[in-house]
Amino acid sequence: MNLSLILTTGLLALQPAAEPELQRPSGAPAQDVAEPAAPAEAVAPAEGEAVAEDVAAPAEATAAAPDTAAAPAEETTEVAPEPTEPVPAEPAPPATDGERYVVSAGAGGPPFYDDADTAALRARHGIEIEATDRTEGPRWRCLIADPACGRSFEVNALAAYTYRGRQGRVDGMGEDPRWSSGRAQYDFWMNLPVMKEIAGDKLFSRMTLGPKGGLIFSDGGSTWGNLGMAFRYWMGRGRWAPTIEFSSALTFKIGERELKDAGLGEPKWKMTRGPLGFTADVGFGLGGFGAIVLGGQYDSPLAREEIPDQYRTSAGGAFFIGFRGNILWGGPAAAAVATHAITQRTVEAP
Amino acid sequence: MSASVSVFVLSSLLAAAPSDAPADAQADAPTDDAAAENDLVEVSEADEEDKDEYGPFFEDEAPSDLQYLGRARPGRLPVLSLGEGAFCFVEGTYCKASMILSADIGAGIRAPASDEGPDVPYAQFTFRGGVAIRPSMIRPRKRKAWGSWGVGVVSSWSKGTGAVSFGADDDFDDAKSTDDTTVFRVAAINQMWLSKRNHAAHLDFTFGGARSDVLTSGVTLWGTHAEVGMGFGGWGGLFLSGDFLDRDTRVVLGFRGHGIAAGPIVAMALAGLAAGGAL
Repeated sequence: MNLSLILTTGLLALQPAAEPELQRPSGAPAQDVAEPAAPAEAVAPAEGEAVAEDVAAPAEATAAAPDTAAAPAEETTEVAPEPTEPVPAEPAPPATDGERYVVSAGAGGPPFYDDADTAALRARHGIEIEATDRTEGPRWRCLIADPACGRSFEVNALAAYTYRGRQGRVDGMGEDPRWSSGRAQYDFWMNLPVMKEIAGDKLFSRMTLGPKGGLIFSDGGSTWGNLGMAFRYWMGRGRWAPTIEFSSALTFKIGERELKDAGLGEPKWKMTRGPLGFTADVGFGLGGFGAIVLGGQYDSPLAREEIPDQYRTSAGGAFFIGFRGNILWGGPAAAAVATHAITQRTVEAP
Repeated sequence: MSASVSVFVLSSLLAAAPSDAPADAQADAPTDDAAAENDLVEVSEADEEDKDEYGPFFEDEAPSDLQYLGRARPGRLPVLSLGEGAFCFVEGTYCKASMILSADIGAGIRAPASDEGPDVPYAQFTFRGGVAIRPSMIRPRKRKAWGSWGVGVVSSWSKGTGAVSFGADDDFDDAKSTDDTTVFRVAAINQMWLSKRNHAAHLDFTFGGARSDVLTSGVTLWGTHAEVGMGFGGWGGLFLSGDFLDRDTRVVLGFRGHGIAAGPIVAMALAGLAAGGAL
């Protein structure tokens, strides 16, 4: 008897694991779905000696001629229901809210939504049902900003009148000069859409934000670099939609001309160090053509005690108003270069 | 039948019993494991689609019937490329090899050794060129349609602001300075592309050597150059860069633009300076 128990236990351990229970349609009774017999559910090793005694005889017969598939099947026919032909579940009743799916004739693929479903979905989420009336694409492969563009890149040029000032000189002369000047700025903008809107089956950028950087010029050969962020909000979807632009950046001096009173002969442009300052502006524009820009800039002083006097710089700043546009139009680029040149030739920095 | 015989019979049965996995599956298992381990897929020349990439950054874009009117190029064809991405003049998501050509400006600090002089602001402009490849997209036998890793070589030239130095006793009488600083660099660049979308973001790690003037000594030495940057396609991006030379360290934060964008800016700047008589 002990040998029988050992063999039985071993055979039971060899039984295939019970298959996971089939998911049945909610409307169909469980007995209608054909399932193979599940011997492991009927006799599990953990049920103990009483169960093992009941199956001892078939187990011994199996030991003589191992047929692990047939023996349990014969045994469990008493406890498992007879397999029957599967009865398909009742089809789910159609949705009552008018939304449904249909199988396209001949498609042979997954179910597809039809136009009525799409219209219902758009109405639910407040998406315009009618396609946008705009059909023309943007110019220059989105190198001119357009709400019909996703990620885009542009080069802008600014020509502006500037009112500059300097907050005294660190060498004790006590001057506080202010003067009128010009400003030319060339920037590379990277526009990443951060707010999109959907019209029909088209995407439009409502708001873009991205890094930008470039060069700034003013009188006296003053040259700054700048790097920061540029923001644009589109108040429409057209090519000439009004825009609000806001940009801010860190600025840093790169070079300037030697002052004529420095006694160094002919003034010459040279690299010049300066601590970080900042600039910010707001613009009101039309499409990707350009914008009227109002802004300001501040230059931090370099006046630490451990810096020799001749290398110190004083705080400065400027307010400016001008026009900034994409250089691909030509006009903004020409205006900026002209402003730059005229400022160099006509403005005498105090 | 003794107990030892029982154990022998039981052991025989266990050895003869079929396992849960089919024999075919067992035979294929090592191959599948190896494929999953190195994440390689055999692709033919005609069909370069592979759908085996998983992960937070590498999932394909969800299918959508919405698109911009200004979608730059249909499908995966990169802009300004030869051979459908075999070589790109502007780095792109599906470029196998790319030209790197950019200009940048940056600002930061120049920090000499404490007994050499003060920390002073530092700014520079740079021109950079090089080439990068995507190894997993070009290897001959097991090639992917898209790989996140890019590697290449870059070289750059910078003109930066000058140095200020004086003795450790803070005696400004012996202060010296230079007008500018020239730097030449050669470095290896490693890229990690973060998605498969157009103009995808990528992280760039650059390590190499920098040859430059050291403070006000008039001596030119080699040092270490290291940079980490984030770009959008090949059009530009932001970076943090450092040149580490003997007793002379410079760290800058900068903005970089592709030559197509930077070229006109440089041209307009030079035109304005020249027309204004500043050069």
